[in-house]
Amino acid sequence: MFTLKEAQLQQSTPIPLAIVAALSVPMASIVRPALFRQGVLRPAFKPGIIQTGVRVAAFQTTTRKRVLPPLPLNDPVPVPEPSPSHGSYHWSFERLLAVGLVPLTIAPFAAGSLNPIMDSILCGTLLVHSHLGFQSMIIDYIPTKRLPTIRKLSGWALNAATLLVGVGLYEFETNDVGLTETVKRVWNA
Amino acid sequence: MNVQRVGLRAVRRVAAKPSNVFPKVLAASLMQFRPAATTTLPPSEAEAQLAAQRLKRPLAPHLSIYKYDQTWFGASAWQRITGGILSCGLYGYSLIYLVAPLAGIHVESASLAAFVATLPAVVKGGIKFGLAWPFTFHSFNGVRHLVMDSGFAFSKKAIFVGGWGVWGMSLVTALGLVALY
Amino acid sequence: MAALRASAGRVLASVPRASRPTIMLARSMASMSEPTPSESPKMKTFQVYRWDPATPDAKPRMQNYTLDLNKTGPMILDALIRIKNEIDPTLTFRRSCREGICGSCAMNIDGQNNLACLCRIPAAGASDVKIYPLPHTFTVKDLVPDLTLFYQQYKSIKPYLQRDTPALDGKEYLQSKADRKKLDGLYECILCACCSTSCPSYWWNSEEYLGPAVLLQSYRWLIDSRDEKKAERKAALDNSMSLYRCHTILNCTRACPKGLNPGKAIAELKKMLSF
Repeated sequence: MFTLKEAQLQQSTPIPLAIVAALSVPMASIVRPALFRQGVLRPAFKPGIIQTGVRVAAFQTTTRKRVLPPLPLNDPVPVPEPSPSHGSYHWSFERLLAVGLVPLTIAPFAAGSLNPIMDSILCGTLLVHSHLGFQSMIIDYIPTKRLPTIRKLSGWALNAATLLVGVGLYEFETNDVGLTETVKRVWNA
Repeated sequence: MNVQRVGLRAVRRVAAKPSNVFPKVLAASLMQFRPAATTTLPPSEAEAQLAAQRLKRPLAPHLSIYKYDQTWFGASAWQRITGGILSCGLYGYSLIYLVAPLAGIHVESASLAAFVATLPAVVKGGIKFGLAWPFTFHSFNGVRHLVMDSGFAFSKKAIFVGGWGVWGMSLVTALGLVALY
Repeated sequence: MAALRASAGRVLASVPRASRPTIMLARSMASMSEPTPSESPKMKTFQVYRWDPATPDAKPRMQNYTLDLNKTGPMILDALIRIKNEIDPTLTFRRSCREGICGSCAMNIDGQNNLACLCRIPAAGASDVKIYPLPHTFTVKDLVPDLTLFYQQYKSIKPYLQRDTPALDGKEYLQSKADRKKLDGLYECILCACCSTSCPSYWWNSEEYLGPAVLLQSYRWLIDSRDEKKAERKAALDNSMSLYRCHTILNCTRACPKGLNPGKAIAELKKMLSF
């Protein structure tokens, strides 16, 4: 506002003329109220200022400022190092296991039960499938950035659990009747 | 432009008929109205102030306001929950089986079946449904996910039909498994 | 210009009534002309999320505004503009084109991320309309979310053509019609962030997971026949966080106000990376 007024001031011709222009002659409408105001408000105006004043762009009302610092707000987020074993290989392996589980799930319903070898394969696949499932839950809900220690601990806890479960399942498969047969017997109990 | 024109007309009218309103109006038009006080800060301080402000920004609500059928009843979320139930069952049973001889408890298939046989029918049915529904849901939705991973069934209609279809099919087959077997 | 207008408005306070209606007309496009007297008012309440950075310790709250739908345009954005013009000038939201091409007015309307300018106001009589900022974003003020991270992530996938070989004719990089067709359904993305902020995976892991919108853009540059940095682009996604936090929840596809399919684009990305 102030800059604008000053700019008008510096550009203006002798005052009485300006008043006349504002009141009667059709000019660019934006200029008029300001010119008018100046004229009325500053009757004892020193003409010296007009001649020595620097010319300023008429419609620049504020100086140009960067609202935010350009860096680091405009930097791209860092790109992680490629690691296919946690990325594409991992994903493909997960899908292969899942695809493998489809016939292994249908077979016991079709055949009534599974032979020990097939049952062991089913158990092994389920174990790894479960491990990967738990792992992705940990990655999702315990982010390294916020909870680095808990993340590490839970990762190792999962590894230990999976190892123990593997031993337990091996015992179960070798000493007992197998997973599908057990489920069948419990279901029919 | 309309405003400008009318404003000009007003100015002309007031100027042509000088009255006691005139100085008041002018004074009002020269005073600048700012709703907030401003101060000039050096860049470092301004930056610090911005950082402090950013820390206080609230997080917009998410789970509590997003459409429930896409969050709380989303097939993908329940894929994880049902998978978790089944895997916890597998892990829990295997670990108990491993330590059972040390603790002196019996969880072999024979004793398990004998124990379940003693339970009343309602409890038996409840246990069966509690295992059968996660299994059917995870299986059906797992197949659906495999189909989507190969790049199919991504239209809005397929998502809608597939999501609710899995719910319906899993509930029906789970009830069937409980009732028929 | 703005300052002059304001002063003109103040001078106007002493002007006789007759000259005023012209100004009112110029002022608000969101309001419609006066209803015919036979129409009964169709009242609708809008519950809007409010938070003011000037009082940062005050909790965000919901504020109710009731409008007569007969005097309001058909879209949610019309209602918001009318609230700002006529009821509460402190209500803050982003808007620009009002025709679904700028992506400024993305917000959560009745639990669904959408562009306010493309979302119709539900018929009167139904329950209140609830309007929130984009979910799980930091709120700058009222309905204005801080999308800095979103743009930084977009920048990280290098959303521009990268190639070393010059054009055959020395002027432009040519592309077959079939190759151009592959970009349909991808190039239309306006980066409104409706899909990314609808994704629970992005809610929990936005620091590292890129989110549907940025991944769709990544796919758009990967399948562009003119781009020559495919291996680098793929390697940038090949880690456990950037791409593979997508669990095919598909809120993104349901949310996209432009009818694009970020979910499918991500599925294609995963296929592309694994085989």
